[in-house]
Amino acid sequence: MSSQADYKDREFLAVIGDEDSVTGLLLAGIGHITTGAEAKKNFLVVDNKTETAAIESAFDSFTERKDIGIVLINQHIADRIRHRVDSYTAAFPTVLEIPSKDHPYDPEKDSVLRRVRRLFGE
Amino acid sequence: MEQQQEHIDSLLERYLSLLDEYTRLRQDLSKLQSSVYQNIARANFAGERGMRYGQDYYDERMRATRVLRIDEAGGDEAVPRFMVRNLMASSSGAADDEEGAKEVEKSESTPERGDAKGTTTAQSNSGTTPETNQTAEGRNQDGEEQEKEKPEMKKTSSDPLRWYGLLAPLPLRTAQTLSIQAVEQVIPRLASVNAEMEHVEIEIRRARKKRAKAAAVADKEALGMEAVEAR
Repeated sequence: MSSQADYKDREFLAVIGDEDSVTGLLLAGIGHITTGAEAKKNFLVVDNKTETAAIESAFDSFTERKDIGIVLINQHIADRIRHRVDSYTAAFPTVLEIPSKDHPYDPEKDSVLRRVRRLFGE
Repeated sequence: MEQQQEHIDSLLERYLSLLDEYTRLRQDLSKLQSSVYQNIARANFAGERGMRYGQDYYDERMRATRVLRIDEAGGDEAVPRFMVRNLMASSSGAADDEEGAKEVEKSESTPERGDAKGTTTAQSNSGTTPETNQTAEGRNQDGEEQEKEKPEMKKTSSDPLRWYGLLAPLPLRTAQTLSIQAVEQVIPRLASVNAEMEHVEIEIRRARKKRAKAAAVADKEALGMEAVEAR
């Protein structure tokens, strides 16, 4: 059960995506880098060289942060850490998979539509 | 039993309408994002000396200008509602409006006061009042200019388009407009619908369990009656 205290400080959207996805979303003004000794970003640009461990670590860090309300992740990148994304069940932050330039959205992998199938398949 | 079935049906109806909205929002998001990608590609294609509009130019001191606000939908704690608000609009736009209103008030009220002063002092001493009026006006004008400059400076420094120079190409501006639409209208609504669907799913499962229990009790009672009749 979520309480107001759980989400009142969650004001940022985080994004894990390829360069164009992140650039597009940052253009909308969601990018934030904290001040202080340990500057924390709310985005990760993933390319072919990015290791899966780095994606996992960013996903874990974004989902553990108390100031993030929504984590956006390209669906093809979520596929690389599918076990992590599927086993994530916390109410906050909400994880939303989004399409990317080279990978259109696949409804078969959509977590909501899978839940719908489960509900009607019971 | 019938009541329970009706309750489940109404929950399912609500769930299906949410699913319909979710599917539409997904389509909207896909369309908006593919247009964003097209426009970024266009900007990159036309970029001078192979300039790429990407992470190389991100400002390392960036601050979010669009932030989330999460509250309870219809006072229900279990169903959060997501909204994205523009901090620039609330800090400069609204402030502009307020300042504008104050300025109007000032300009409407000061001449009257000035006139009144002017007429009363003109009777006693005509030499001093015009000066004091002028200095007061001068101060007012300076104040107004400063007030006008402040929000503009804020606006220009926090706009991500500025990372790519003062004259960002048109496709990049279009990409920004589309992305703002996705961030302000589609993404928060998607998150809210997702949360509401989760909530309704729980209610449906609960209602189904209740119905199953009631059915089991009814079966038992029916069996009991049959047994009594058989005796």
